[in-house]
Amino acid sequence: MAALMKAVHVSKNMNNIMKLFTNLSLTPNVITSSKHVFLHRTPALHCAFIHITPDNRDLMEFFDEPKNWGRNEVKVGRSWRKDELRLKSNSDLHKLWYVLLKERNMLMTMEEVCKDENKIFPNPERLDKVKDSMNNLESVVRERNRAYHMLETGETGERPGKLVYNCLGLKFYHRMHQYIIPKYMNRKWHKWHKFGFGGFATRRFLRLYREKIWNQKRRARNRDKNRVAVLMSKFPNVDIEAVKQHFPNVDLETIKTLKRARGHHVPE
Amino acid sequence: MKLLKPKNKQLANVVQFHCSMEMTKFDIKNYMEKIYNIDIIEVRTRIAMGRTKKDQLQGSIIKEDDRKIAYVVLPKDQSFVFPDLFKDAKGEFDEEIMNESKSKDLQEYVKENKAPGLPGWFRI
Repeated sequence: MAALMKAVHVSKNMNNIMKLFTNLSLTPNVITSSKHVFLHRTPALHCAFIHITPDNRDLMEFFDEPKNWGRNEVKVGRSWRKDELRLKSNSDLHKLWYVLLKERNMLMTMEEVCKDENKIFPNPERLDKVKDSMNNLESVVRERNRAYHMLETGETGERPGKLVYNCLGLKFYHRMHQYIIPKYMNRKWHKWHKFGFGGFATRRFLRLYREKIWNQKRRARNRDKNRVAVLMSKFPNVDIEAVKQHFPNVDLETIKTLKRARGHHVPE
Repeated sequence: MKLLKPKNKQLANVVQFHCSMEMTKFDIKNYMEKIYNIDIIEVRTRIAMGRTKKDQLQGSIIKEDDRKIAYVVLPKDQSFVFPDLFKDAKGEFDEEIMNESKSKDLQEYVKENKAPGLPGWFRI
């Protein structure tokens, strides 16, 4: 009896699966309704045809969908993460960049319109999300570019630069680029790019500047030391490990010996 | 790049854009044709000076950024009308939303206070 029941069950399951297949088949209606049917890539599922962005490339792309006009809230998802973008091919990233660019243009237009009409722009974090996605995408592309260049040429292929001193004797990162005019003929460049320093005034400035930085550091050190001493005097049972973690540069052993760290209570 | 609502009356086939300062007329033409697939006859640009105004609190003088404005001319037979986006907009103080938030606020207020060490009826 049990075997018979099982057989009936199996046949039922088969029936269900067959039903599923009949549901999955592409009806002519679906094919005509979608503009892009990538039969070689998309699986034969109905849901695959629902989420296709309409490709109407005209000036109305600068505006949000009409259903979102004048609404107080527009719900959107999160931004693209780097890990997700790393899984995509170069051509996919290229397409996604332009999708994001259009989205950003649309959002900026809507923001401007809302500002003109004295209305609140709904969900302004959308702009940040798009910006974040674009930054992530660019960094992923750059990663790939760097890896490719390192493999092929042994160099990063990034824009070259070097650490140089300016007229005040402070270091900064100078990013180099190509010029039409040779360097020895380019008088304007030499006018605006003065590297290196010298002279008594600059040296005095640097001396005072270093003193200022050193004083700032010294004050920070003393501040931390005093703070720990006060903590110890107020809370004799203070968690030493936590204090060490919070103030890593302070020597606790020397502070324990200080009079300031003793506190107004009878020592145990 | 953003599409601007024209302040002054324009021809039906002229569209205004605000673009980045570095973009030239040729850049704008390529941008519109390649990315947005729009036919363009001519592009004219100008740099609009930002307004200078006084800060309300500190009284210091503030200047808004200058911006490049592009006038894009579409073919003669085409026209663009800036859509009315706030035709059926709900106001900020919409009645439904206000009632909803009112009842929600009341429930929130009547609710028992669960802060530790305080009686349930206590509220600030």
